[in-house]
Amino acid sequence: MKHTTRAPGGNVQAASILGVVRPKRRTRALLFRVGELLESYSMIAPAYMVFLVFIFIPVAWSFYLSLFDYSILSLKHPEFAGLENFAKMFGDSVFRVSVWNTVRYSLGTVPARLVLGLALALLLDQKNLFGKNFLRTVYFLPVVTSMVAASIVWSLVFNASEAGLANQMLKALGFPPKGWLADSKLAMLSVCIMSVWKELGYVMTIFLAGLQGIPLELYEAAAIDGATGWQKIRFITIPLLRPTTFFILVTEVIGSFQVFTQTYVMTGGGPGYSTTTLINLLYTKGFFEFDMGYASALAVTLFLGLLLLSWAMRRAFRAEEIVY
Amino acid sequence: MKGKSNGRSQGLILEILKYAVLILGALVMAAPFLWMVSTSLTPDSVIISYRLIPTRVTLANYVKAWNFSRNFDESVSLGTFFLNSLIVSVCITGPALIIDSLAGYVLARRKIPGKDLLFYLALGTMMIPFYVIAIPLYLVVRRLGWLDSYQGMIVPFLASGFGIFMFKQFFQTIPQDLEDAARVDGCSAYRTYVSIMLPLAKPVTATMAIFKAMWSWNLFFWPLLIINNIKLKTLPLALTMFRGLNVTQWGMLCAGMTLATLPIVIVYLSMQNMFQKGIVMGSLKG
Repeated sequence: MKHTTRAPGGNVQAASILGVVRPKRRTRALLFRVGELLESYSMIAPAYMVFLVFIFIPVAWSFYLSLFDYSILSLKHPEFAGLENFAKMFGDSVFRVSVWNTVRYSLGTVPARLVLGLALALLLDQKNLFGKNFLRTVYFLPVVTSMVAASIVWSLVFNASEAGLANQMLKALGFPPKGWLADSKLAMLSVCIMSVWKELGYVMTIFLAGLQGIPLELYEAAAIDGATGWQKIRFITIPLLRPTTFFILVTEVIGSFQVFTQTYVMTGGGPGYSTTTLINLLYTKGFFEFDMGYASALAVTLFLGLLLLSWAMRRAFRAEEIVY
Repeated sequence: MKGKSNGRSQGLILEILKYAVLILGALVMAAPFLWMVSTSLTPDSVIISYRLIPTRVTLANYVKAWNFSRNFDESVSLGTFFLNSLIVSVCITGPALIIDSLAGYVLARRKIPGKDLLFYLALGTMMIPFYVIAIPLYLVVRRLGWLDSYQGMIVPFLASGFGIFMFKQFFQTIPQDLEDAARVDGCSAYRTYVSIMLPLAKPVTATMAIFKAMWSWNLFFWPLLIINNIKLKTLPLALTMFRGLNVTQWGMLCAGMTLATLPIVIVYLSMQNMFQKGIVMGSLKG
């Protein structure tokens, strides 16, 4: 053992002697290494140049802008404002309403997607289910369609007139028609229904992938022990799906705080401010009122809020896991 | 014995219930599509009576929807928007795959100083919501003079932390021997990447391509910010022009939406497995 460990040392010595004797080879090796490094860096350069110009600089700029009074319409230079934008924002009742609306949207979509998505995945995960592929395709179809097109069609579904599909169905069931998107009390609910419809197939697919990872032997063992179907789900499937569930929960919550397209297309944030979300407000402030400072303060707040939220969710999840 | 037959009939009831739920659910999911298609076939004059099965069928709505944008600019039809979306989608997907895989290869295989930092930077880009950087990004693109241009819609998305991550993960699974053999034969890093690594990475590349193409085809917020010129509008952006028709011309509106939805549905149906794989893979993003 000792002998073999000593051997490389001897080689190094020999090499250095060789190096002294033949310096050319060493410089060549060095040149080769430099060439290799340059080659490697040239291969990653395009990606990191894009990151630098279009992500890293904008992130820093976003924080910087949030401290300035800046409108791209006026010719005057940005003026340092300290935390004024943040003070203005937290004092703004529209901001508070839009936070509340965003939370409402999140609560109205995430739990429904998780529960329905899991239920669908469990129902569709059976081996000898007739028409499984067809059903999966149908459930997944909304995911691939464009959000704009889906929102426009759903704004007809939820049209306040009697011709809207939602009102036609109410009528068939013997209920009076509702205002849906035109009713400030129902507008957010309508947006939530549409959003659950749109993304349900996605959640289902991720759960289905998670279900594939659960070993079948566990179910077989449980069956021998006389477990019922529900017990298998309760004590095997759900606990073993925890990583998947956690992943979906975090991405869905973070995604739901960035809702924009649906509300922009279906309601424009209205009626009143009843469906104005944080990103709707950011868009209005930044690109209609051109108050880039305020809009940046909003963006920074959202960013920090989301970081905090995902950190909190991760912690809560871990804490619960220890209890388990 | 009685218990057993009871159990069997109970199982049968459960089975029927399961199918009932699944089929009802599928109907709810499909209803907006079916309603959209049937409305698009209904003449706009019989407005109040849109039903699932139209009583009178017409294709006139499709012609009107195709030419709807000519009201704003004579030279622009729905085809223009399709073409724009296609250009943006192809010009993002193609180069992004090359750029991401190159970086992924280096981060997976080559020894360079600062590799870990570079990798974490790439991962970090995934944690930044696009909306957070939208305003400064707008200012950057404006300064570059790229407002109202194709490059403004394309260049900011030519690299993604997610793509780099996926390619790096994949390249790490390829046995080192294969690459060493090439190096001994005197292949440069580029040669090794092109002739050894890329051919092996076909499955990842394909799923990534689908994922990216679908993502860029549906881009909405960014073009909304930087594109005003109707000739450059992509499909999602152009569709918002149809919103104004929701009072009287539902047939034409639905025809427009059907035309816009059809291509992606056809692509999806013909490559379903790839799509689902892409979605599951995309979910690793978090």
